[in-house]
Amino acid sequence: MLTAYNLKHINYQYFTFTVQHSTLIKSLNHIIVLGGCSLKKLITMKKIIISSVLAVVAIYNSIYIESLDDLKQKKDSNFDFAKYSQDLYQQILAKSQAVELSQLLSSFAENDHANIAKYGNRLGIGSSAYYLVKCQAKILEVQGDRLKVLAAGNRLLDIDTKFIFGNAIRDASGLVKLTDFKTTAEFNKISESLNTIIREKAIPEELKTVKAGDTIDIVGAVKLGEKQHDLLNLSVLPIKISKI
Amino acid sequence: MNKELLKKSQSLIALLLLCIVISILSDKFLSANNIWNVLRQISVNVCISTGMTLVVLMAGIDLSVGSVLAFTSVICAGLLKDGITIGALNIHVGFTIFGGILAAIIVGLLIGLFNGLVITKFSLPPFVATLAMLTIARGATMLYTQGIPISNLGPKFEYIGSGWLIGIPVPVWISILLVLLVVFISQKTAFGRHIYAIGGNEKAAFLSGINIQVTKLIVYGISGMMAAVGGIMVTSRLNSAQPNAGASYELDSIAAVVIGGTSLSGGIGTVTGTVIGAAIIGVLNNGLVLLNVSPFWQQVVKGLVILLAVIIDRKSKK
Repeated sequence: MLTAYNLKHINYQYFTFTVQHSTLIKSLNHIIVLGGCSLKKLITMKKIIISSVLAVVAIYNSIYIESLDDLKQKKDSNFDFAKYSQDLYQQILAKSQAVELSQLLSSFAENDHANIAKYGNRLGIGSSAYYLVKCQAKILEVQGDRLKVLAAGNRLLDIDTKFIFGNAIRDASGLVKLTDFKTTAEFNKISESLNTIIREKAIPEELKTVKAGDTIDIVGAVKLGEKQHDLLNLSVLPIKISKI
Repeated sequence: MNKELLKKSQSLIALLLLCIVISILSDKFLSANNIWNVLRQISVNVCISTGMTLVVLMAGIDLSVGSVLAFTSVICAGLLKDGITIGALNIHVGFTIFGGILAAIIVGLLIGLFNGLVITKFSLPPFVATLAMLTIARGATMLYTQGIPISNLGPKFEYIGSGWLIGIPVPVWISILLVLLVVFISQKTAFGRHIYAIGGNEKAAFLSGINIQVTKLIVYGISGMMAAVGGIMVTSRLNSAQPNAGASYELDSIAAVVIGGTSLSGGIGTVTGTVIGAAIIGVLNNGLVLLNVSPFWQQVVKGLVILLAVIIDRKSKK
């Protein structure tokens, strides 16, 4: 029969058992010693090891490391010449580094070497340099793909809108370095695709809007030697022609 | 008992009624394509709102989720596309899709933890702290991208937002998994009970031995992570990270939480209720588009629905 005394006794026994039980666990925790580590420490170490392994697996699957040289090589093999040239064309027009043609020619006439050097861009040690020039001119005659124009100072210019080849425009821009490319072939490919954009897209579109008698703005490239004597018969490779 | 059940399922009833009304007005609403589309659309809001529910349950608010979404989105896209170049070591660290996603989630977590830290350590109102983070994260997004979207992240990455798995869109799977996880956390763990306790009475929770600061820190961290997952889903769906993504998403998620029956003063509400709230907003958006309602009116209607939901919530509590 359960009396008040019995209940109290049972409770006391239960309490004693619980205390003893928890003491036992604590003692076990202290008894189980492996290499000087308690059970608690072992569990913590296990957690740290599992977390570290997971972190290493996550990082290994998250990133890959390659050298910048390899990356450059990879990029070069996928190099988009057309896009590069299109951007270059826009840069040439946007930067507007072109010198007034009359200003350049007077520097030549006066043998102003400082200015001649300032305006020009040259590749290597050749005696000729390339100049980005601009001028305003009046169209005198449209002869098929050629324009005869009269620029400031009554200077007659011959502009061939079809025969746009070579490296004059690329080099006159001063924006492309040989060292940016692995091979000369790649460097020259920039000229090829830049010339194509100007010859087949930019200039034909502009030519549709002009006729003899119109006044136009010209941005172009010219090649001049260090001691250029013939300043009268200049041939300008057009980069942009726009009707005023 | 019946009254109690009715009160508990009022948002579900509202969703069903809305679906019935829209399906009567538009024959396209119940088409399989449209239903999948709605589910795909609400997945992002479900993700964000799930995190927001935990914050609101704790009587807080997180206004930064939209900006965090945008920031983590551009971080993920930027790392996937360009990686990190360390010139001094002559190395380039590229990121796999898993890496990009992991980085975005970690960034989301860190922003969330920062929010939590500011709120707990400096005792700032959550509204102010997260409002500041809203601006900071948006500004950082613009700085990182210079306002230009990061596009073409590859078809594998696109699969997360646009792919299908066992006949169900992948984003829907992701949101189902996250909702189940958060339901488990909030209903079956001591941590979940701590959140309700803090929202119910912060002082009492403190006196009963709950570590309020840590709980808040973790909850804001979860909210940031959820926003990051939403960001990954949006980026993947568009195959592009837009610097202005996620604008006003915080309002949509708060609306989903409130419509779902979670009390803005904390302590009352469920994640499943929020899912229904997000579904109501998604269905409402879709229905208004199908019914050719002007976008300006759509905003007005959405605002009125939120207002109505809060009024009903208040009335039912009285």
